[in-house]
Amino acid sequence: METKRTLFYHKHIEQGARLVDFAGWEMPIQYPAGIVGEHLTTRKSAGLFDVSHMGRFSIRGANAAAFLDYALTGYAGGLETGSSHYTILAQPDGGAVDDAWLYRFDNDGFILVVNASNKDKDWKHLQGLVKSFSNVEMEDLCEKLAMLALQGPKSEDILKTLLTGGSLPAPKRNAASVAVLAGREVRIGRTGYTGEPVCFEMMMQAADAEYLWDMLIKNGASVVGLGARDTLRLEASLPLYGHEMGTDIDSKVIPILACPAAKLAVADIDKKKDFIGKAAIQRQLAALEHYKKGNFSNTSDLPRRIVSLRILDKGIVRQGAKIFSGGRDAGYVTSGTMVPCWKPDESMRPTEQTDQRAVALAYVDCKLAAGAEVEVDVRGRMLKAKIVRKNLKSAGIYAVAVFE
Amino acid sequence: MMVDKQARYLRTHEWVKKGPAKNMTIGLTAFAIEQLGDIVYIELPQVGKVLKKGDIFGIIESVKSASDMYSPVGGKVVEVNAVVPDNPDMLKTQAYGDAWLIRVEPSAPAEFDGLMDADAYEKFLQTEAH
Repeated sequence: METKRTLFYHKHIEQGARLVDFAGWEMPIQYPAGIVGEHLTTRKSAGLFDVSHMGRFSIRGANAAAFLDYALTGYAGGLETGSSHYTILAQPDGGAVDDAWLYRFDNDGFILVVNASNKDKDWKHLQGLVKSFSNVEMEDLCEKLAMLALQGPKSEDILKTLLTGGSLPAPKRNAASVAVLAGREVRIGRTGYTGEPVCFEMMMQAADAEYLWDMLIKNGASVVGLGARDTLRLEASLPLYGHEMGTDIDSKVIPILACPAAKLAVADIDKKKDFIGKAAIQRQLAALEHYKKGNFSNTSDLPRRIVSLRILDKGIVRQGAKIFSGGRDAGYVTSGTMVPCWKPDESMRPTEQTDQRAVALAYVDCKLAAGAEVEVDVRGRMLKAKIVRKNLKSAGIYAVAVFE
Repeated sequence: MMVDKQARYLRTHEWVKKGPAKNMTIGLTAFAIEQLGDIVYIELPQVGKVLKKGDIFGIIESVKSASDMYSPVGGKVVEVNAVVPDNPDMLKTQAYGDAWLIRVEPSAPAEFDGLMDADAYEKFLQTEAH
């Protein structure tokens, strides 16, 4: 199969990108600054990411909200114009077809953004479901619209400089707006996949793509590739389909609510009628309630959960490494690497000094919670690790490393 | 400098040079370092470890991956460069110099002569790249 190129392909070459095949797309894994440098720049300044490989579907028509309420776990009917939310395409058994972000920029309809690696599967899945609904129009916007993410403490200043009309999405995360940047209309969500408190994802017409890229760079944005995109999301404990979602190492379905982030995607299910996966998700929610009270008498609906790890010993744990608790098999690492950070000062602002720490996400026994120490088998060497609530936290406009 | 004329090479991008004295010094080539990108972790053996030619003597990890490092010659590890794991950036500029990794007392010094020389390694890199 021929690899596809996004509208920013020539811009990546111009920036000296190292290109790789990712989900059928020729994408920048890193630029000359390197993964570590790009990660650090995003945390202190503003990182620009080409995310045009992700799937973008328009869903419009009188029954668009009703259709989305059935196909997704979120409450699309309650999504106000000028906002967005995290949502999941569930399976009847409570696993995930994919996770996605649903935007409502205008009264006209919705835009659903899905993972590049799942785009064709998602499209078919949704096409199969939409047949039962009248007055719903689905359109693949991938060719029509390009998509960029601008993430980091300086990203809002950059957009403000370029703003010539409309408004930026504000003040809260997940706000969405239609703005004019340097004379070009752009749909902007205050969203992202880096853990940055100041974050934007933008969709623009194909014809405006290169011009807007140049304007963003000219005004201080630094290019970031997929390598740092992965370390940034991992430091922020954000799940990635195929790792923390989908099926596990034994090809078993990972229940949606094994991911803490998924709670946001099912927050309003009581306001919805029937939807795919409802019964299974309700059982998973009930299990979580029991676990909260220390009741682990029935763990069949949610035997393992995704947790964040910090590695205490020297070394790096990677995907697939086995985890032991008290000598017993307790799960495995779903994503792991060494991530860089700026050392924070007492007021939680980044200093000029950098550091690095090995972190991971892991799929472990549901009884294990934050504070528990486990061991990870790295090529036969047992490394001590601690389950933590998070490895990164927001402090004002910064996302800073947690060293608890 | 992509290659060092004094060194001999493995296809897995380790180099070995004669010296100091009767020992041999082992490191990773500039090509390998460039390919790995940002190096975030290096694991080296203890002094005293006995290696056979081709044995794994350490691990080098970038953000994206972990790679084993193989010993081009057999012998006993007599010295380990403890500075490099704390300063992996050294590898980018001094791959054949101060950023050497281990020194061994070779068990069969003639193994050195059977390895790729700089010209052969350079040719090998050209075929790798295309």
